[in-house]
Amino acid sequence: MMKNILEVNGLTKKYDNFELKNVSFNLPRGMIMGFIGENGAGKTTTIKSILDIIKDYSGKVKIFNLDYRSHEAEIKEEIGVVLDDMFFPEILTAQDIDNVMRGIYKNWDSNLFNNYLKDFDLPRNKQIKTLSKGMHKKLEIATALAHHPKLLILDEPTSGLDPVARSEVIDIFQDFIQNDDCSILFSTHITTDLEQIADYITFINDGEIVLSKTKDELLDEYGIVKCHEEEFNKISKKDYVKYKKNKCEYEVLVENKREFKKKYKFEVIDKMTLDDLMVLMIKGEK
Amino acid sequence: MIGFIRKDLAMIKSNFKLLAILTIVYLGMSLAGQMDISFILPFMCVMIMISTFSYDEFNNWNAYVVTFPNGRKNSVKAKYIATLLMIVIVTIITTILSFIISYVRTSTIDYINILEMTFGLIFGTLLVQTFMYPIIYKFGIEKGRIAIFIIVFGIVISGGLLSQFIDLSGVLNALSFLENYWVITIIILSVLLTYGSYRISLAIEMKKNF
Repeated sequence: MMKNILEVNGLTKKYDNFELKNVSFNLPRGMIMGFIGENGAGKTTTIKSILDIIKDYSGKVKIFNLDYRSHEAEIKEEIGVVLDDMFFPEILTAQDIDNVMRGIYKNWDSNLFNNYLKDFDLPRNKQIKTLSKGMHKKLEIATALAHHPKLLILDEPTSGLDPVARSEVIDIFQDFIQNDDCSILFSTHITTDLEQIADYITFINDGEIVLSKTKDELLDEYGIVKCHEEEFNKISKKDYVKYKKNKCEYEVLVENKREFKKKYKFEVIDKMTLDDLMVLMIKGEK
Repeated sequence: MIGFIRKDLAMIKSNFKLLAILTIVYLGMSLAGQMDISFILPFMCVMIMISTFSYDEFNNWNAYVVTFPNGRKNSVKAKYIATLLMIVIVTIITTILSFIISYVRTSTIDYINILEMTFGLIFGTLLVQTFMYPIIYKFGIEKGRIAIFIIVFGIVISGGLLSQFIDLSGVLNALSFLENYWVITIIILSVLLTYGSYRISLAIEMKKNF
């Protein structure tokens, strides 16, 4: 049985003012990968390249252990996608979407779609343009799930949702992943969602993958040291990842907090959140 | 592919009330002799299909389509099939209404004249749409309008200049034998133009970045 449901290898795409640089990562089967990075870091470009929405990239994408370019149609039957700002024309209704998708996916399940509509309190016969942003997003998610996909590729699926709706959506994703054959690639900058559900975190910055690790490994091993200037000056450059100088103290991101604690005798090393990681990796200095 | 056709038809259906009201107004005007319905309904058909492109573009549907199995290919194919369906529907409505108008206004029905007109109408509508679609696929609906204007302008100017320097009467004479076979000529031309236009649109769509 295949180990990875998605393998991205050396994805490179050049624009005039931006470059995706040799992006590589693997998403194991049965896992949720959080794909994080600031706006403009390359998350959407990577997802669009994986899905072939952007052409002319170099590199290889394998999904379900099949080469994406040569098995595109059969792979797409098994993928559910939510993209930022791309969806059905807004004069259509959920009923129309049901009719349309029945003619697009072999496995489209109208009953499942209707159940999601009920669960999400979405109207069947109202035009999409009359729905709130949150309802719109929930309709996109219901559409992505209703053909029994094995891989969900989600670009900012919780943006625009209030905390209650976000929690509903996260629950749906957790239900989806109960099936060991299914996986989710989840791009977001709302990292608290990922702290709840992600198994892996892949962090992209300026078109480059900075790290790709299990969430537990990341949150367990990395830490933040808060110290004064004289303490900071004693720390060797090779023992920290990045630091940020605040008004009264230094925040130092360390990769292995246990070893660091042993070596430098710091009493307290704070736990790191994914937000801390993003801020320090992007804004911090070396 | 059937899903994509359903999508275009659903979009057209959502404007059904407006279209029905316009048709009744134009029917009334045609009965009063102020308008010829045989031209206005095909024009509406073109506008309706163009509006589906506008909705697609506005909601980034074309990028979303790429995530579906054979999405790029099927969406283009479906657009042409939906267009042909619309042309057939509009032609049937126009022909029936023309019969009614002819009978009400003259107490007779000029079958030959109306059927000839219907045939020309199908060809004319198809010609406009097969010309416009590859341009819209290439440039999008907004820039496409400008491109269509420039291309039509270029064709008219170059045609005018060509006729100044080259005697086209020989070519026209050579083609005059087609007059006797105009029905089959129009059918063959329609098929060739539609297929050619579809292939160009598809080639554009298959290479497009969103």
